[in-house]
Amino acid sequence: MAFKPLSALNRRDILKSLAAAGALTAGPGLGQLAFSTPGMAMADDGRILVVLFFRGGMDVMNFIGPSNDAVYIDARPADLRLLDSGDRAGIALDSDLAPGVDFRLHPEAGALHEIYRQGDLAIVQATGLANATRSHFEAQELMERGLAAEPKGNAALGTEGGWAARLLQQMGGNGGLTAVSTAGGVPRLLQGFPQALSIPDLRNGFGLPGGAGTQAVLERLYPGGGQSAAFNPDVSRSGRTALDAALRLNAALPRGPDGKVAAYQPEHGGAFEGDIGRSLETVARLIRMDAGLKVACVDMGGWDTHEGQAGRFKGLIHQMSGSLATFWNDLSDYHDRLTLVTVSEFGRRLRANRSGGTDHGHGSVMMVLGGGVAGGRLLGRWPGLQPQDLDERVDLAVTTDYREVLATVLKHRLGITQFDTVFPGFRPGTGDPALFRA
Amino acid sequence: MVVSTPAPPSGAAVPPSAEWIFLNRFAYGPRPGDATALKQQGTARWLDEQIRLAAQPDPAPETRQHLDTAVLRIKYDAGDGWAALDEMRPLRTLGQPVDALWQLNEPGRKQPYQERVRPRMELAAATVIRSVYDPAQLGQVMTLFWHDHFSVNGADSYTAPALPAYDLAIRTHALGNFRDLLEAVATSPAMLIYLNNRSSRGGAANENYARELFELHTLGRDAYLNTQYDRWRDVPGALKGAPEGYIDQDVYEASRAFTGWSIQSGQDLGGYKAPSDGRFTYIEGWHDNYQKRVLAAEFDSYQPPQTDGHKVLDLLAAHPATAHYICAKLVRSLLGGEPSPDLVRAAAATWLDNRQRPDQIARVVRLIALSPAATAGWGARPKRPLELVASFARATGTPVTASEPLVGVMDSAGQKLYAWPSPDGHPVSDDYWLGAQNMRARWTLALGLAEGAWMPPGLAASAQMGPAAGHSGQAVAFWSDRLLGSPTAIDAGALLGGLDLDADAPPRVDNKTGEFANRRLAAYVAMSPAFQLR
Repeated sequence: MAFKPLSALNRRDILKSLAAAGALTAGPGLGQLAFSTPGMAMADDGRILVVLFFRGGMDVMNFIGPSNDAVYIDARPADLRLLDSGDRAGIALDSDLAPGVDFRLHPEAGALHEIYRQGDLAIVQATGLANATRSHFEAQELMERGLAAEPKGNAALGTEGGWAARLLQQMGGNGGLTAVSTAGGVPRLLQGFPQALSIPDLRNGFGLPGGAGTQAVLERLYPGGGQSAAFNPDVSRSGRTALDAALRLNAALPRGPDGKVAAYQPEHGGAFEGDIGRSLETVARLIRMDAGLKVACVDMGGWDTHEGQAGRFKGLIHQMSGSLATFWNDLSDYHDRLTLVTVSEFGRRLRANRSGGTDHGHGSVMMVLGGGVAGGRLLGRWPGLQPQDLDERVDLAVTTDYREVLATVLKHRLGITQFDTVFPGFRPGTGDPALFRA
Repeated sequence: MVVSTPAPPSGAAVPPSAEWIFLNRFAYGPRPGDATALKQQGTARWLDEQIRLAAQPDPAPETRQHLDTAVLRIKYDAGDGWAALDEMRPLRTLGQPVDALWQLNEPGRKQPYQERVRPRMELAAATVIRSVYDPAQLGQVMTLFWHDHFSVNGADSYTAPALPAYDLAIRTHALGNFRDLLEAVATSPAMLIYLNNRSSRGGAANENYARELFELHTLGRDAYLNTQYDRWRDVPGALKGAPEGYIDQDVYEASRAFTGWSIQSGQDLGGYKAPSDGRFTYIEGWHDNYQKRVLAAEFDSYQPPQTDGHKVLDLLAAHPATAHYICAKLVRSLLGGEPSPDLVRAAAATWLDNRQRPDQIARVVRLIALSPAATAGWGARPKRPLELVASFARATGTPVTASEPLVGVMDSAGQKLYAWPSPDGHPVSDDYWLGAQNMRARWTLALGLAEGAWMPPGLAASAQMGPAAGHSGQAVAFWSDRLLGSPTAIDAGALLGGLDLDADAPPRVDNKTGEFANRRLAAYVAMSPAFQLR
């Protein structure tokens, strides 16, 4: 099958293909562009931020654990922790985070370890929300809104939407395909940025039902520019955004002779596995379209492992590690512009339950992958696992506010220096996580 | 020829009639004539009849007939231990007890995924059929509300065999008493599997169910005070025996109360092997029998079997925070938009006053439905995909039956019936429902139903239209009246302009079906912003 590498497509090609598809002359609307946002004074150097959210509270202790810690060994059966010897030993991490502590990585995370070893991936231990919530939904929401706690009174104004949405407002749009979520709907992270698109999958294209007639009718039913007749402006605007996305994306996707969207082949090997792979493949396609992507939000679920954790966790780590490495290697042309950061709402209880699983805990971990990252290191501050060191005597304590890591990424990679808007009420600490090369 | 600039929208500033709005909120939209009938009958009598219908143990004959004749494709390739299959199969799992389906889940038994999760597909398909045809519309709306409130992912092969029994349990109590509903859920194999309580044992209990019981099923997140208080006695009201909310200590203790609430799944219980049939069981040997304290109430050691768990359910069901949280969610779900605090307060008072009554929930729903807010604020909330599908089918008479692709498109429009991946149920937020992918799939639903993409022959348009069938402008007005409650609710000029059709000309007719243009016009009216709203 003739396959045109996506990287060969540039914005001009996309415009040409749109014109060929008749989209640019199809009537009012497209030119007025739901995509375009008022530009701010920031230079657009094409930086791309990918936020990968591990939903369900990922068990850090089963991912990157202090394999030789006696408390750790006592708290968990062997299949829920990292071992320092034997057939299933964890991968030893080169780290000076805590002298004498042998941090190991899950044995299924070999592909991730390779990136770590190359110096592109940094890991910050014991991150999260400073407060003590162990509710998934409260913790996820706070993290997506960029908060430490639910604000009261006037302080709550303007904090309903996501921090990524506020970041985008600050960065300004460039008339492109600016913000994407690979979930079916728009996640809280992007709520408040009206042009945010949800695009779970591009493997079957992103066409409209019913062909050209439908397209022409929808152009008029969802005219954009605030002219809609609907009672609910959100519906009109969303329809317009979906319509524009369908036209742009569908025309730009490379197709085989049978008209079907050509299979995506990541460069430099590897494979996109599972749901996380499908999502990262979608983001990789969008990045290669060079259509102005600034922020992509990717979810990976399945981490709420209260029961039978060992087997499920192994599979999830394998998919996550392999897909992330594939994504990074595939996009080698974009490394200078690309940063990926991971979050999870919390980690799990240090002590396992009797269902072969773990319950909601506290301290978690964040990973930062990207150009300029001073990787190959565990960063942050390891609080230790002695009873008095634990949060509420049961969980890994949080020593680095999750916003500290995000702010560092935003500062070094996107040139953001004012964090008040993005993370209301947040003042960056003095502790420099030393995430980036000078 | 088309004009290049669309005419300014007309007509749409006028909301549909109160009856129209009401039937989009407390039913799955009006069929032709329903709004007029409701106006004659009055809302109170309509509610009496709906509450009576919902209490019937058996489905209405017409519902029964549609369910009995439905067939749903099941198709898979040959695999390890099974042959390839492609057949149209009746809905056989509906209403089946868990033991009748438990073999779908048996460890070591080789079965394709499609067989394992068949109950979810059948229940989703049956739900579409019921929402279109079941005369007990309010019961259907409330059953779905509680399924989302007590969300279980039935696309998980472990929970799937227990899903039909779960549906029956929820359906039975949907307009009944909340404490009864709560216990039916707590002892349901589906929930015991989904939130892992089945494996919870004393020593280090599994906290999953207890946590979501407090946060999602009863008191709600606003009553989770863990970031403010470390000890139970510090929670306001606790020392008087009436704590305002809960903290992690309550969750830990409640999880101990539910240890031993399990299902029979062949466990080795010390010389005795439990049967493997998925039924609820209480395993005394797994229960943590020592004293507990939940919401400032003391539990003595060594209570009779299940007493600890029952007591937790009693405390939670009776708590004012539960009344407030669920009533606010009910008002928001039924009416859309920000709920009026006065209405929520009134509903919560009714909830608490009637907590011993068998029709507690019906009384609360009745209060909401008879309030002025019931028909105010049109358009505040987008329809969910099922509401879109059912209201289209009901308004146009498009025949609907079981269909795997239809369920698939509803899925990609955001409504994963019985398959939401986390225990919080589908989001209330409009932003979620209006993502680009979800919008695209909504349009696909309207067009696919009208054109019979999944259920041929689709909408029999012309037969219903009379003279309007031969006149494009009148045809749009006809479908606007049917779908939006007024012939002028849609901008006909804009719609016809997109099709390059003159309002006075007849719609172009497809030679094969004689339907193409008229049913497509109906679909386009349904793809408009106005039809997305309720």
